Amino acid sequence: MIALLQAPLARQRRVLRAAMACAIVAALAGVGLLATAGWFLAGAALAGLGGPAAVTGFNYLLPSAGIRAAAIGRTASRYGERMLGHRAALFALAEVRAGLFARIAQAALSGREAGRSGEMAARFGRDVDLLEDAAIRRVSRVGAWAAAIVALACALALGVAALIVLAAGLAAMRVAGPAMATRLLPARQAERARAHAALAADYAEMAAPAIDIAVYGLAPALAEALHERATAQCRAHHAVAQAEAWLAAVQALIAAVTLAAIVLVAQGTAPLLALALLAAMAALEPWSAVAAHDANAPDTRLAQERLEQAGATLATAQPAPVLAARPALTIAGTTLAPGARVLIAGPSGAGKTRLVETLAGLRDDAPQALAIDGYDPRDLGLAAVRPAIALMPQSAPLIAGTVADNLALARPGIDRAAMEAALHVACADDVLAALPHGLDQWLGGDGARLSGGQRRRIALARALLSGRPWLVLDEPSEGLDLATEALLHQRLAAWLDQTGTGLLLVSHRPAMASLAQQAIALG
Amino acid sequence: MDRLSHKAAPARDSRPATRPPRSLRPTAWWMAESAGAIPLAAGLAWAVASRADGALPAWPAATLLLAGGAWRALALARARLTGQAAATRFQDGLRQRLWPALLPSRTARAALVGEDVHLAVDTVDRTEGLVARFLPLRGASALGPLLIALAVAPASWVSAAIMLATLVPFVFGLILAGGMAARRAQAQHRALERASGLFVDRIAHLPLILASGAEERIGRQLAMATQDVARRTMGVLAVAFASNAILEFFAALCVALVAVYCGFALLGLLPFPAPEHLTLARAFYTLALAPEFYLGMRRLAAAYHDKQTGEAALAAIDQALAHAAPIVERPAQPATATPRHLHGAGVVIAYPDGTRIGPLTWDWRGPGLHAVTGATGSGKSSLLLALIGQAPLAEGQIVADGAPWPGDAANALIGWAGQAVSLLPGTLASNLHLAQPGAQRDDAALVDLLTQLGLGPMLARRGGLAMAIDHRGAGLSGGERRRIGLARAILSGRPILLLDEPTADLDPASAAAVRAILARCAQDRLVVAATHDADLAALAQTCCAVDAPAARNAA
Repeated sequence: MIALLQAPLARQRRVLRAAMACAIVAALAGVGLLATAGWFLAGAALAGLGGPAAVTGFNYLLPSAGIRAAAIGRTASRYGERMLGHRAALFALAEVRAGLFARIAQAALSGREAGRSGEMAARFGRDVDLLEDAAIRRVSRVGAWAAAIVALACALALGVAALIVLAAGLAAMRVAGPAMATRLLPARQAERARAHAALAADYAEMAAPAIDIAVYGLAPALAEALHERATAQCRAHHAVAQAEAWLAAVQALIAAVTLAAIVLVAQGTAPLLALALLAAMAALEPWSAVAAHDANAPDTRLAQERLEQAGATLATAQPAPVLAARPALTIAGTTLAPGARVLIAGPSGAGKTRLVETLAGLRDDAPQALAIDGYDPRDLGLAAVRPAIALMPQSAPLIAGTVADNLALARPGIDRAAMEAALHVACADDVLAALPHGLDQWLGGDGARLSGGQRRRIALARALLSGRPWLVLDEPSEGLDLATEALLHQRLAAWLDQTGTGLLLVSHRPAMASLAQQAIALG
Repeated sequence: MDRLSHKAAPARDSRPATRPPRSLRPTAWWMAESAGAIPLAAGLAWAVASRADGALPAWPAATLLLAGGAWRALALARARLTGQAAATRFQDGLRQRLWPALLPSRTARAALVGEDVHLAVDTVDRTEGLVARFLPLRGASALGPLLIALAVAPASWVSAAIMLATLVPFVFGLILAGGMAARRAQAQHRALERASGLFVDRIAHLPLILASGAEERIGRQLAMATQDVARRTMGVLAVAFASNAILEFFAALCVALVAVYCGFALLGLLPFPAPEHLTLARAFYTLALAPEFYLGMRRLAAAYHDKQTGEAALAAIDQALAHAAPIVERPAQPATATPRHLHGAGVVIAYPDGTRIGPLTWDWRGPGLHAVTGATGSGKSSLLLALIGQAPLAEGQIVADGAPWPGDAANALIGWAGQAVSLLPGTLASNLHLAQPGAQRDDAALVDLLTQLGLGPMLARRGGLAMAIDHRGAGLSGGERRRIGLARAILSGRPILLLDEPTADLDPASAAAVRAILARCAQDRLVVAATHDADLAALAQTCCAVDAPAARNAA
């Protein structure tokens, strides 16, 4: 188990132990129910054949009470096992998620490409889910072992040969499961992931020119062209299912052979045979379920490795110089005094976005000479650069949360009045007015889907709230109509005058460009 | 946390309209797997009876156990594989319906490419568990108990009756607990859906969070939110596990009742007259089948997650299909006569986000060249999109020869060349002829046109018209693809050409060549170009400026 998971699971140790105790009780009750019932039946039959005296001598109270106790005990302890096992796993993994976020954030902050740190998010999410699954299954594994041990003890009543047969069968299942899983599955699972990625990439490529598809009626031809990839993906899914089916079938087969062999080598009376056979049967079922989890083991192992690596590449933090409260900027030889308003001009593809993102410390690949307060931002790193610059990226990202959550990112301690004032400057008051819950409106995948223009204005308000000496806006008025754009120009100019904040502007739109007093041309 | 305190949405009808068909083969294999329990139970009964009797050999018991076990192993594998095959078939059909609806409607639905990829690929994948596992198991769980009761009846009809009798309180208990679980899950659904996505969302937005210097605050909030998810999930699970416990209880009760009845019957101590004569073999066979009675339902309960995932996926697909249907299924009117006069008055395009473009007025007569000008982002492309029914028209009317312009129903009249160009796997020639399949091909003229467009060097380098195009557009650059799109529009022979920035990103010589080609096209077609290029606009008979508050018409 990896270090990341160890401490949180240790904190759940008591719950985990209680869950495992429940799992053991449930396993014992499960095996006990069938074994006692079998022994009771065989004993009762023999007593019934032995005549009235034998019947009177047969103690039926104890086994019939045992059967009822086992039935109730199995139900209660299985419930306890599930509840406590899930509780331990869910709370431990909740802690892992929070810890992982902190680690990845730290690593990104001291690395050189903080701007790309979000790319693996979905993968991290799936990986932690896999570990959660594995943690839950650890509990049921204990139950399977307990059942196996009881069944072995019962088999001893049939002689050493029967014990050896059952032990051999159980061992064979444990060997076959992981062996088949490691031999058959990783390649097929990797192929499945590859096929999925190839289909998604091709679909993305082909779906992009939507107008061509509509005008020329290309959808059937494209669907046909993608069919091959989809078929490949289905084949890959089938190959994984096949391996998993084989794995389960081999487990069932070994269990059947074991049971048959016990019958052949068993010694002892009919009640003992009944007891041990049913105990073995009851133990073999959860035992083969353990092997079904072997199918996930290769995936889980890979997930663990990926998570261990995540955030492990901590660069040694260099002591960064403290920048002036209102630093000057130098861009490609032009030095900009604090409070200057500058347009970064140039045709599409000239690298304007790359330049401002490099200046903001999110990447390091702009070819121009850059400096903040005399230091190259590529050497300073994001942690040192960010007090100087508030960037509103072109993509205007919003986190899943309320409008207020998004605005509160800017800095600690922003009150609602300040938020509303910033939204007003960003011309987003109408956006806010249209949202049923105002500042508390949840923005995200569900319901309130905002347009590009609306997102941009909220992101702009967030940049305004951050109170940094330089405001860097990448295409702030894309998707706005002319009247709103004019209003935005007017309010932004007044806000800049009032706060003395410097402005770096990337914009194609002439109305916005007139906010700047000077221009730096790229390209 | 206040973000989690929103009231859950009122119960939605969660039954998706897209229903997977009943899959009989995997259900039959699951039943066959259940039937394998019969020889297994017979083998156990034989083994114990032969031991009690002493006269009977043990090998038939071993043979029955082996045969039953092998049969079950085989049936289990077949059930899984046929289930997978059913899922493959279902997903295949789903893609054939979904993709042709999604692909041409993306712009009109205002969906991002990534959103559509998620829907077309990932969401379809998520139906796998529902079709491959849950549905076959549901069929088997309904029939399985009856099969087992039927197999038990010849040995002990009373035991069969006992098993069936436990079903009644079980079903009542399950309905009660199931209803409670569903209500609890529904009440938590929205909060859980939001909060459980936060971890991925916060990592995805790490650049923004880091640039804002908010990583510690967000980290603290996330720690609280993840704990909250765990707490709420446990709340939902508590009820789900309770209904599972009901199942477990009746499964155990079924075994216990059968065991006690059989035991007392064998002892002759039943408190009522014995309704049947039991032997050890019969009683043991009955007991060995008792756990199988509820096995199907226990398996079904384990596959419940597959059901939820699959039905959520189908609901999302239904929603997308419902969005796309009115766009894709608009009646395609037969391309009537080519309009000689396309006229718009007071046209306003209003997107759902509130962005308004216009009012725009134009007066285009064909054949001829007309320009739409304006700064980037001003809505030039939107005007072209409105002409093909892909942008929402809020006010005004587009009129062709005195009749309302039918929007995308007139697509067969239109040759389009835009910013993104669709390429199909095949050759360059097949891609250029996409718009008029079956037409006479004049390769020399084709090469001539491509050379004029400045694609000569690319043709020479990549093997001419026979150049292979793969799924990824053969690594052509954006500029090359756009000129191929332009050539395709011209070659389509369609009477109206709508061109978005036909001369952008071209060197001066190529741009001049394109202008000459367009001027030639304009002699017998209606050519409308949205452009920044002042030289091209100068060639136009009219120029509709999108930038200005009121469109200017310089006819």
